[in-house]
Amino acid sequence: MARPAFWKVDRPEEEGSRLIHLDRDRALVEAAQADPARFEALYRKYLAQVFNYAFYELRDHHDAEDVTERTFLAALTNLGRFEERARPVDGDGASTFKVWLFQIARNAIAERRRRTQRHRETVLEAATNVPATVDLEGDAARNDDAAAAWRAVSRLPGDRRRAIVLRFVDEMTTAEIAGILGRSEGAVRVLIHRALRSVARDLDDPTR
Amino acid sequence: MTDTFVGRDANEIEALVTDRYLETLLAAHARGTDRSPTGAIPAGAIRSTAERLARDLPRLHPSFRFEEALAARIADVAWRMRTSAAAGSDGPVVPLPALAGPDESEPADGSDPRTVFGRPLIIGGALTSAALSLVGAAYVAWRLNRPAVGPMARAVRTVARTRPV
Repeated sequence: MARPAFWKVDRPEEEGSRLIHLDRDRALVEAAQADPARFEALYRKYLAQVFNYAFYELRDHHDAEDVTERTFLAALTNLGRFEERARPVDGDGASTFKVWLFQIARNAIAERRRRTQRHRETVLEAATNVPATVDLEGDAARNDDAAAAWRAVSRLPGDRRRAIVLRFVDEMTTAEIAGILGRSEGAVRVLIHRALRSVARDLDDPTR
Repeated sequence: MTDTFVGRDANEIEALVTDRYLETLLAAHARGTDRSPTGAIPAGAIRSTAERLARDLPRLHPSFRFEEALAARIADVAWRMRTSAAAGSDGPVVPLPALAGPDESEPADGSDPRTVFGRPLIIGGALTSAALSLVGAAYVAWRLNRPAVGPMARAVRTVARTRPV
């Protein structure tokens, strides 16, 4: 059973202290730990985000599906060992479950890469095309913009690319990204800032 | 705000300003509003790039078929987990000692549980053997002292008694 994630918050204006709820997924996680069939709610909630992360990393529809499947099955079978570690500084909307889930996804992606022995060069080559699965509403100019953004992000090196995808596509906080990448929040902020500079140069480059 | 920037280099301060800008930009994007964030604004190129990525980077969703197939697989695994948990709750699970030969990780202090299992087998065998011996001796004594029932048996005993040792 997971360790309770309630923290005492001392309020000078109040008598004693009160308890706050730190992980927004706590109720869903506890329900799934008590009855594995309830895991489906967490699966539906994070399916698209995990798939996005895997797809941006692997650039292959089937590989992304495979990683997504492995991630959720591993999360389900290991849910009993999951421990909440949310801190007050993580904010009200923090989810340590989400960080844990994406750490599993990150490992699954690394394992997938090792298995397929795919090299960075081939990834970059494949990255020049926007995925066919992208359903963009709007005109051709919008598609061109999306393609340019996709290519610019794809050219970023490892953790810069991951940080940008997690921040802009999966809309995670700096604290969550820091937890997933195993870096400090300050390091993630600098990583994103530098990545934005690189993308800005790339998008302004007429030869690209 | 000024306190936040004390003791940081220019790069960290720029990164912090960008981070705060992204917070409000992505929150506005999530709400579906295009209103530009207020507060500290990062350099023009960073700002326009951030706005462009927030607007243009494709968000993907797996196919409905994949989603439902994986949901079914997850439900199946969950059912197995629940079933095995229920089976385990019928009684305490007693860990069985390994039946394979000794390995390198075996403790050298004689604390291997297999030695505990070996002793009762030897003692039991000796007791069984002794018990069988006692029963056998009693049976032979009873047979020798029992009067012979048939003429053939009497003849055999007579011959046995008269035979020189």
